[in-house]
Amino acid sequence: MSLLAYYDWGLIWEAKEDLFRGLLVAIEVAAVALVVSVVVGLLLALARMSRPPLSWLAAVYVNVFRGIPALVSVIWVYFGISLVLGINFSVFQAGVIALVLLYGAFISEIYRAALQAIPKGQREAGLALGMHPIRIFVQVVLPQATKIAIPNIGSMFIGMIKDTSTFTVIGLLEVARVTQNLNSVTFQPFVLFTAAAGMYVLATFFFDFLFRVIEKSLTTPPAGGIAGWLTGRRKRRIELVVKDLEALSGRT
Amino acid sequence: MTEPPARAGTDVVVELRGIKKSFGATEVLHGVDLTIHTGEHVVVFGPSGSGKSTLLRTINLLEEPSEGSVRLLGVEYGPGLPGERGRRGGPLQLRRHVGMVFQQFNLFPHLTALHNISLALRSVKGLGRREAEARAAVALRQVGLVRWAGHFPAELSGGQQQRVAIARALSLDPKVMLFDEPTSALDPELVGEVLAVMRELAESGMTMVVVTHELNFAREIGDFNVFMDQGSIVECGGAGFFDTCTNPRTRQFMEAVL
Repeated sequence: MSLLAYYDWGLIWEAKEDLFRGLLVAIEVAAVALVVSVVVGLLLALARMSRPPLSWLAAVYVNVFRGIPALVSVIWVYFGISLVLGINFSVFQAGVIALVLLYGAFISEIYRAALQAIPKGQREAGLALGMHPIRIFVQVVLPQATKIAIPNIGSMFIGMIKDTSTFTVIGLLEVARVTQNLNSVTFQPFVLFTAAAGMYVLATFFFDFLFRVIEKSLTTPPAGGIAGWLTGRRKRRIELVVKDLEALSGRT
Repeated sequence: MTEPPARAGTDVVVELRGIKKSFGATEVLHGVDLTIHTGEHVVVFGPSGSGKSTLLRTINLLEEPSEGSVRLLGVEYGPGLPGERGRRGGPLQLRRHVGMVFQQFNLFPHLTALHNISLALRSVKGLGRREAEARAAVALRQVGLVRWAGHFPAELSGGQQQRVAIARALSLDPKVMLFDEPTSALDPELVGEVLAVMRELAESGMTMVVVTHELNFAREIGDFNVFMDQGSIVECGGAGFFDTCTNPRTRQFMEAVL
């Protein structure tokens, strides 16, 4: 009892706004980084599947940056680039770049596997129809590959949110930094870091759910409630097209 | 190879000259010549590995020949014969006039039956969405599947999928349709509906090249029949070919299959 009394759990309630603001910052950095990482990852995957020397360069990049921890990456971007090139990023920008450098490499591997999983016949069918190879990639191969990649990209995103905790070293006001700041005033590390852990778990549950919904709506035929009204609209439009045709053939 | 019988009175749509194809060091087509006339139904048959599918795939340059020429509507495609010069068309241009149906259907699984067709119409013919969808519906009606327009390939039977694939190829108004063993991946009870669509298409006067093991169907629609073995045309002939062929290798194959 005395132990519990010593820990001021009420602090969490008082700090809730700061903590949520921290979580929001973490999610913002991770979300911007995710969007850029997917683009970078896709380009890297294409480079890796192309001819040497481009494929070699991409392979070297992927293997180097998969091996670097986020903490090292962000110090390198924030302080290193400022020292060497004189470019000063804001802490937000540095965080995004640090994550993109690493997760671009991871996502490129996810996309490479997904692109290779699309049967050769899909591309051939597009070619036989006379479609331009770029159009085949964008409208036939990429949507199918993305569907395969989505679950793995989802777990990458959760990893990205967690990695933002290292950005405390450059002073980004994310969950870990907020917690440390509160702790320096209240000296309740156990309570505050338990709350921080809770924040990350909360985010994980939420985004796991979100990506599951996206995944579900990308199945063919789409499943799940949110996909329902999207599909409903398409179905109604197709029915309309068919009805038009029947009306037309009825007259002639 | 025996001399192909004269087929006078019709225009030539496709002319293959000296088609050779190698995969690595192995040559699988040893210089094949084939002429296809307007409205003609050419049936290509032969044992597995005879090169019949590869030959079909060179017609739309899905398989780029190592040597030889494909002539369609007065334009030469492919690498040409040795020493041959002159302007040659690109594969994109050629494929816009040639439709193809695959053994594995190769429908786009992430699109509905209607959108499988309208995507092709939009990207190849440059149509707007409304017009493309309207024409896609017409194409589906041709194969009796307009009620299934909103279904995804996974919700259709194999026979229905192949009929959608046929409609998709037809929607682009090809000058010639290629069929690469269109019923080989189907349950036996679904073969009939696909053959019925093909028969109807043949009766409508479409120029067709069909690689098939369905020799009864081949006998029925084949105006010109080509037997291939080991990368060459062994024997070919007109409508009565299945009863009149003389080459011992052809006879041996027919007796084994029929």
